[in-house]
Amino acid sequence: MPREGALPRRPRGARRGRAGLWALDAGLSLRRHRSNRLLDLLVAVGEALERAVDPEVAAWIVLSALTAGEGLGFNRAFLLLARDDELRGVFGVGPRSREEAFRVWAELSRRQVRPLELLGEPDAAAVAAERQRHAKTLAELSLPSPRGCHAWRRAFVAHATHPDRCVRHWVDVLDSRALVVIPLLAAAGPWGVVLADNFVTAAPVYLGTLEAAESLAHVLRAAVERTELLRRLREEEQQRVAAEHATLLLATARSLTHELINPLSIAGGTARELAASPPAEPAELARKLAIIAEAVARVEEHVGRLAEGLAGRANGTSAREMELGELAERVVERFRPLAVKRHVRLVCYRPARQVRVGGDPEVAERCVETLLANALTACQVQRGEVQVAVTEEGAWGRLQVADTGPPLEPELAGAPFSGGMSMRRSSSGLGLASLRALAEAMGGRVDYDQSDTPWVRFALLLRRWA
Amino acid sequence: MTKRCVLFIDDEEGLLELYRTAFERLGYEVATATGLEAARDRINRGGIDAVVLDIRLGEASGLQLLREVKAAHPRLPIVLCTAYARYQDDFSSWLADAYVVKSSDLGELKLAVKRCLEASA
Repeated sequence: MPREGALPRRPRGARRGRAGLWALDAGLSLRRHRSNRLLDLLVAVGEALERAVDPEVAAWIVLSALTAGEGLGFNRAFLLLARDDELRGVFGVGPRSREEAFRVWAELSRRQVRPLELLGEPDAAAVAAERQRHAKTLAELSLPSPRGCHAWRRAFVAHATHPDRCVRHWVDVLDSRALVVIPLLAAAGPWGVVLADNFVTAAPVYLGTLEAAESLAHVLRAAVERTELLRRLREEEQQRVAAEHATLLLATARSLTHELINPLSIAGGTARELAASPPAEPAELARKLAIIAEAVARVEEHVGRLAEGLAGRANGTSAREMELGELAERVVERFRPLAVKRHVRLVCYRPARQVRVGGDPEVAERCVETLLANALTACQVQRGEVQVAVTEEGAWGRLQVADTGPPLEPELAGAPFSGGMSMRRSSSGLGLASLRALAEAMGGRVDYDQSDTPWVRFALLLRRWA
Repeated sequence: MTKRCVLFIDDEEGLLELYRTAFERLGYEVATATGLEAARDRINRGGIDAVVLDIRLGEASGLQLLREVKAAHPRLPIVLCTAYARYQDDFSSWLADAYVVKSSDLGELKLAVKRCLEASA
């Protein structure tokens, strides 16, 4: 294999491939120049990959760097991944034919497009289109059962006579005279393969270019693994959110049914009983009718609230922007006289910076009142301390109420927000299960921790307002 | 003949009164309880032939009481009477002898209680 060299300026008579690397060895300064360029390329690719959250985009970035004129200058490149005992073609970049190559390169030159400058801002639609454009070739490159292949460990340039049948298959599909094969290995076996060639320009592939391509391929592997993990996490997060929504809907349906069916049963049942056996005493009749009227009034109230809630959701007014610190201070000031009366030290820590979250201010206030009332009730015997703190926690705003009261009973500590369990502290506020349902209805959640003795911490977390 | 005693457990006073009126007219003795503690006390005192139990008892769960009572008194028939039909999907509710969805028409509940008492006689 020829050694690669490069001149900063094109010497008379020198030939230049698309790689932009002069096919001459001109000494140490030239190698330094090439190393700097490669370093710049790796830095540019690395920076672009840091922002990539999609495996296809990561593949597009690296394969574009392999094929860009200012990059390694290959004419085309492909990525195959080992999945389910198959080497599957997943992405390709570059022209599909000589005619297409001349047309596209001329267009890029005319418009003075520099592909490397686009790496940092990949267009998702363009990436998808590129993948679709190569779908047929990728399918042909795929190997359903690549047993016996990929015994190689380092990158190499292959020809039609290569002993490995997988490599011969790829050379054949791509009709390549010199195909760069870069194996990517995992501990358990092959992870994938990057293929590249100069099928249009027939430019030679130098050792330095091969090594640089191998470096980029390994960067690609790390990026694809990272983005695939991100994708899995995103999918799991979506599933979790969907499950939580389903749970909330179920709980809401149960509550709604309970709140409507009970008074309806009372009203209808009592009316039936009256019809079947009217009481002799007018006073008893009046009492029964009052029961029916009260039950009907309850139904009316619930239906009204339900309609209001649905209307609020329809016009998007259920979640509004609010400042968590201000809300915390407001509720704390409301409870301060009670804290003084109960000899409980009540403090509120609010950050200098505003913590803006989305939610229903009235509902959020009710939740905080409940937490605070609970904490003060828990502390009143020992005359302890209650701390309210507002912080930012990633995408969340956190309002935490910590107290030095007795911890939860063991049977409640495992799932303090689950329904059907009594609270450890009697309070005039909402139950913890209701608190959780309300927090979730606002797209938030609740948290609990009593591992840091003597503090028992409950927290309301709401999504920060974008 | 001794009257059969049915214990109704529900957090709705209005429903308990309705049950009392309807079932006393059928010749049953009616006992009522609005919460878990009162229900446990009444069952442990004895003399209860059947229990009609709501699942949602305020913050408490009737299913918890169902498990407790079935463990202590396996032959005591229990009819779950609840507003929400989907609780039938909860395997905890399968311990009950009958499952009735609340309605202003007490016909189904009356029939379920009658059958449970006949089966346990």
